[in-house]
Amino acid sequence: MQAEVNALRGAIPQGLLEPPLTVGTVTPGSLDDQVLAFPETLPPKQWYIGLAITLTALVIGFSFIGYTIATGIGVWGNNSPVFWAFDIINFVFWVGIGHAGTLISAILFLFRKRWRNAIARFAEAMTIFAVICAVIFPLIHVGRPWLAYWLFPYPNQRALWTNFRSPLLWDVFAVNTYFSVSLMFWYLGLIPDIASMRDRTTSKVRKVIYTVLALGWRGAARHWQHYEKAYLLLAGLATGLVLSVHSVVSFDFATSVVPGWHMTIFPPYFVAGAIFAGFAMVVMVLVVVRETMQLQNLITTRHLDVMNKVILSMSCIMGYSYMMEGFTAWYSMNEFLHHGFMNIISGSYGWAGWLTIFCNILFPQILWFKKARTSYFWMILVAIGVTIGMWFERFVIIVISLHQDYLPSAWRLYKPTMVDFGILLGTFGIFFTLVLIFARVLPVIATTEVKAILPEAQPSHHGEDHHV
Amino acid sequence: MKIIPFGPEAPVANPRFWRTLEERDETPEARAAAHEEFLPGAATLDNLTPAGGLSRRDFFSLVAATTAVAATVACDRKGQGTVVPYTRRPLEVVPGVANYYASTFQEGRRTYPVLVKTREGRPIHITGNDEHPGVKGKTSPRALADVLRLYDPDRLRAPKFQGRATAWNEAEAQLTGALRNAKAAGKPVLLLTGAVASPSRKALLADLKAALPTLEHLAWEPAAGDAAEAGAKASFGGAVEIRPRLDKAKVIVSFGADFLNGEDPEALAAFSAKRRLSHPGEAMNRLWVFEGPMTLTGTNADQRFPVKPSRLAALAFALARDLHATHGVALPSGTDLSAVPAGVPQGTDIPAQAWTLLLKDLASAGREAVVLCGPEMPAEAHQAAHLLNAMLGSQAVQVVPAEPLANLRDLEAAVQGMASGNYAAAILWDMNPAFAFPKGAAWKDAFAKVPFRAWIGLMEDESAAQCQLLLPENHWLESWGDFGFGPILTLQQPTIGTLYDTRQGEDVLLMVLKGLGAQVPPDLHAYLQARWRSAVQPAGSLTTFDRFFQAALHDGLVRTGVKPTPAPAFKSASVAAAVQRAAPRGTEGMELVLFPGFAPHDGRYANNGWLQECPDPVTKMTWDNPVSLSVADAQKLGVKEGAFVKVEVGGASLRLPVIIQPGQANGVLSLALGYGRTTGAVGAGVGMNAFPLMDLDPASTNLRRGVRLSAAGGKKELSRTQSHHRMEGRDLVRSYTLAEFAKEAHGSGHEPEVLSLYPDQQFPDHKWGMAIDLSACVGCSACVVACQSENNVPVVGAEQVTRGREMHWIRIDRYYEGDLENPKVVHQPMLCQHCDSAPCENVCPVNATNHSPDGLNQMAYNRCVGTRYCANNCPYKVRRFNFLEYTSYKTEPEALVYNPEVSVRPRGVMEKCSFCVQRIQDVKIRAKGEGRSILDGEITTACMAGCPSDAIVFGDLKDPKSKVSLLAHAQRGYKVLEEVGARPAITYLADLKNPALVGGPHAG
Repeated sequence: MQAEVNALRGAIPQGLLEPPLTVGTVTPGSLDDQVLAFPETLPPKQWYIGLAITLTALVIGFSFIGYTIATGIGVWGNNSPVFWAFDIINFVFWVGIGHAGTLISAILFLFRKRWRNAIARFAEAMTIFAVICAVIFPLIHVGRPWLAYWLFPYPNQRALWTNFRSPLLWDVFAVNTYFSVSLMFWYLGLIPDIASMRDRTTSKVRKVIYTVLALGWRGAARHWQHYEKAYLLLAGLATGLVLSVHSVVSFDFATSVVPGWHMTIFPPYFVAGAIFAGFAMVVMVLVVVRETMQLQNLITTRHLDVMNKVILSMSCIMGYSYMMEGFTAWYSMNEFLHHGFMNIISGSYGWAGWLTIFCNILFPQILWFKKARTSYFWMILVAIGVTIGMWFERFVIIVISLHQDYLPSAWRLYKPTMVDFGILLGTFGIFFTLVLIFARVLPVIATTEVKAILPEAQPSHHGEDHHV
Repeated sequence: MKIIPFGPEAPVANPRFWRTLEERDETPEARAAAHEEFLPGAATLDNLTPAGGLSRRDFFSLVAATTAVAATVACDRKGQGTVVPYTRRPLEVVPGVANYYASTFQEGRRTYPVLVKTREGRPIHITGNDEHPGVKGKTSPRALADVLRLYDPDRLRAPKFQGRATAWNEAEAQLTGALRNAKAAGKPVLLLTGAVASPSRKALLADLKAALPTLEHLAWEPAAGDAAEAGAKASFGGAVEIRPRLDKAKVIVSFGADFLNGEDPEALAAFSAKRRLSHPGEAMNRLWVFEGPMTLTGTNADQRFPVKPSRLAALAFALARDLHATHGVALPSGTDLSAVPAGVPQGTDIPAQAWTLLLKDLASAGREAVVLCGPEMPAEAHQAAHLLNAMLGSQAVQVVPAEPLANLRDLEAAVQGMASGNYAAAILWDMNPAFAFPKGAAWKDAFAKVPFRAWIGLMEDESAAQCQLLLPENHWLESWGDFGFGPILTLQQPTIGTLYDTRQGEDVLLMVLKGLGAQVPPDLHAYLQARWRSAVQPAGSLTTFDRFFQAALHDGLVRTGVKPTPAPAFKSASVAAAVQRAAPRGTEGMELVLFPGFAPHDGRYANNGWLQECPDPVTKMTWDNPVSLSVADAQKLGVKEGAFVKVEVGGASLRLPVIIQPGQANGVLSLALGYGRTTGAVGAGVGMNAFPLMDLDPASTNLRRGVRLSAAGGKKELSRTQSHHRMEGRDLVRSYTLAEFAKEAHGSGHEPEVLSLYPDQQFPDHKWGMAIDLSACVGCSACVVACQSENNVPVVGAEQVTRGREMHWIRIDRYYEGDLENPKVVHQPMLCQHCDSAPCENVCPVNATNHSPDGLNQMAYNRCVGTRYCANNCPYKVRRFNFLEYTSYKTEPEALVYNPEVSVRPRGVMEKCSFCVQRIQDVKIRAKGEGRSILDGEITTACMAGCPSDAIVFGDLKDPKSKVSLLAHAQRGYKVLEEVGARPAITYLADLKNPALVGGPHAG
């Protein structure tokens, strides 16, 4: 049997063989030592500096949020007709960032893309943190945040019920489901690693904590059986959510009557955009993690290359979507839609429209070159560009569409305030604070999953252990 | 115990079970044992409690009681106040039911008969008096808003002497003492008041003059424009009031007259009545406007020509000459027009064709033509207008002799007199010369030299700062009075007791009279009644005076039977001199028109937030008075909207932001008066005081020539409610010429039916709807103020308006179309359309906005969380969000003006027009109580009631015969943004213009 496989393997041309997923010699033991050691040691100085910066941003954000809640939405730049601005831009932006993580951990898992094992953990953690940043906005952007719980259909004596026709209510369910499934999926994957850490640690305190978190994991065959089943099921569930969450978010716009929002292309367009922005963020953060934590052997150049290819393909889909928006505006012969599209490229906020087009469509085309896909300089530049571009895409959709809709008498320009910028900064602070803490207290790479893709773990492996 | 039926058979009797034989036999021991919860001997906390301690049950009772008490105490909301019922209820006050009182509001020479709505004794809303044959229930925006001034926290609440609060008897002693001394010394006493429009006040002033012969009374209206007075004196030999009677006008020519600005509801109603056509064959009036600045009247013109105001007189005289020469209209004998240069005056750019058509129009309309001249225009223009009206024998204008007003020269003489120490005392009554006299500094210096200075007024102002004695005055809603010298006398009556320790001005004068030894009644009420007994009640009247007076109180007016004074004869001899003055003068520079501000008028309403926030009908500017200039002039100067410029004239200069006004004549600036007050919590620092730019020459106070304009650097963000002024070719306001209307009449204007996947909502009883006639609407904005008053709409201030957060439930959209030099202008009241398929309703996640079974799109403020999604999805952008806390910090007296029927909205809540649901409910309840159905027209929304031109009609669309139903199917009817499919309940009727030239209303 083994011989047959080997013979078959020998027959496959070299180019079709999957390239190695790790660099150099990685053994299960060395992997554990490399990855699981981080939580056992004190972080370097740079980490504290980073944390100080992100915590400052976080404090600024929360102070402005407190100020907003105490004073009212009026401290933001929102006006009539731009009733939504930074609040919803940031919400859509952060929900979008989360999508890369779920795509990598769930969809690529189902497609048996084994390279995703090394980066899935991190990407998924970013999903959780991004959704945490995102949910802040629906809560604080309402006029009376202390009543935000009214959006949940809970039985009450006043016999009041929510309006299930409202896309905002769909949002409540979509985002909640997304967050809980993502959290479960992430935590489930963490359990074997936490158990490893429990077994490794010598500190009593950590032992207790990891013991509790490991939920009694012993690595028994039955545990593994259940684990794999649950993981597969959750992956299936999360896959649907990757598509549904941002589709539902796009319904906030697509089901309205606002010209520039009322578009059937929005659901797929939003999902693609979310994956696009999410991958850019993952690339940005992974490069930093890879370098500072010396994980070059596990997160290889190939990983970066593949992720950049995803970014490139999403960029092309975005380009198609933008063109379709223009085409729809022209072909529909709808004067409102036409005016809305012309606003994007030549209105008062035309610069934002062009910035979006440049950052999202034109500049990422450089990734056609392998050199750019594997160069830190270019990939970081593209990733930063895409992050900015995708934020501005939501600005274009929300602010440009709203500031000039049907009645010219109501048109007005929108100008953000310090508070708007402060809260945006604050969410970045929250996000990166969580990323930094995560990087030091939990395994940033799913060791058990990487062990499964080590050459030694493969049935085709012709190392000596298999020949015995 | 209830017996539960078991199957179809008869119910089984309740079975009785028993545990022991004793229980079955019901022995007393068993009965007692059954009563106990526990078996004998069981250890309970009850019997374990140590003697004197709390038992378990007692403990729980106490816990329950304290929790209940704590919860009850905690439920008391901060600042909620207490509700105390009347111990002895005033006869006419039923809590929850409004009372209406007729009264009169005065502004300058104009008086407005009004109806004051009071709730539990508080005046809360004002409408026109519908008993009055002239105004027919209509009034001006400023009259509507003046109820707010009653509750202004800045009102002076007690007399002050030398800066310290004092008692009235002390104040009385000071005032009468000073006047007695003046009388003894024979030195003059200056009394400065506004226009005298009240016969009782006139009689009182005469009495005062008799008792104090050295009294010099000046009745002055700072913003009125002395030029009209000067022109009238020249043409008629005395002061007159020009009352347009536009119901009799077919052709109206305006020389800078802004008679549609809402100040004259009668003129507005009469003008609009002739523009509300149901089919093209009906007669329609035609309005020709020649003006420098773009006025509201200009925006409604059928044919408008931008002309420099200094050229208007020449234009009018040329018109008179050509009318005589080409159409043979007779000139009043002795009229000398020989000096009028031939042809259309130079520099007016009026095409020959238009000139011919205008002449033809005037000649053929004859007595049904009228020429009106704006009070800001120079005296010669007024004289020319008087000449034209005299030539045409116009029926459409009434020239009524009026009480003369003092002009700026008279005031200047008084200033000189004061400076040289002639006056012993001066009394300012509702007058603020330190602010409004063009040479304010000179006034202040001179006034300081008067030994005794007294002030009677509502709120301490710039002039009060210089007075030793301050006497707080009643608001007119707390006062008595009568107005009018003609056939109808209107009555002013208090609708509330005085809020503070104040007296009405006339009572102060009566006090003075008493102090001077005259025999007078104690207060104006008695004085007025005494005068009415002798002078007003018809001699042969069969009713007692009390009943006569009661009837007058009820109606708010008395038909005196006095024959209207015949119009004074036109003095043709005055024409030649006027023609001379109309000749072009070789002055360099621009022209500046100073007009009374829409909100503050001459500054007296500067502290009224409703008015300050009500956008100027033309510029849509709130809370400021930028200077308007033409597009070409702005380009020449290189300034953009909001840039600061320096306006210099006659040694005075002002630094102001500019507004670029399409349609403004080149070389003409216009600037509103009344801004730039330095006192008052609301009005201080709003805009710039333009009075210093006024000329003292009575022939042309409000029109300055030789004005220099230069860029001053810097920019200001204008607090405008509309920042985009083109319609972008969208079908929002339909406007037809009469010819187009005739063509459109055959049903081409109807859109295809909007299809829906969902079943239509059913309206079982009523379906409320509205029709707005854009041809009748002139954009005066009375509806905006009426709605603000009715619905407790908050005032947000200049900064919030700049940021697009004004809260008006109804706004007037104003669009320009065509060329910038002389655009066509349309106005469109925009309010919640109460759509049947409302886009706002389905997006609210908490159902806070939904549809009522009678077709209202209703807001449940308490349920609103504030996602603002509804506002995003509203195609009409009529939803208003409380971005900040705009109301809850308000306490008495401000909160007293609130309509108790309408909840006050806190921050974070969306609000919008409710179709005045409280009024609908009120009528519904009344109709139900009387066992009848609701009559058509019985329900009026506040905007409808406030609309002087009857452009708004509200009613039941389910009733096919209701007025609104008929209008909804009218030829001119259309829905705004019908293609969105929201199915609005408001039908707009297309605007109509009646241009003489083929090229449209603004060709030429």
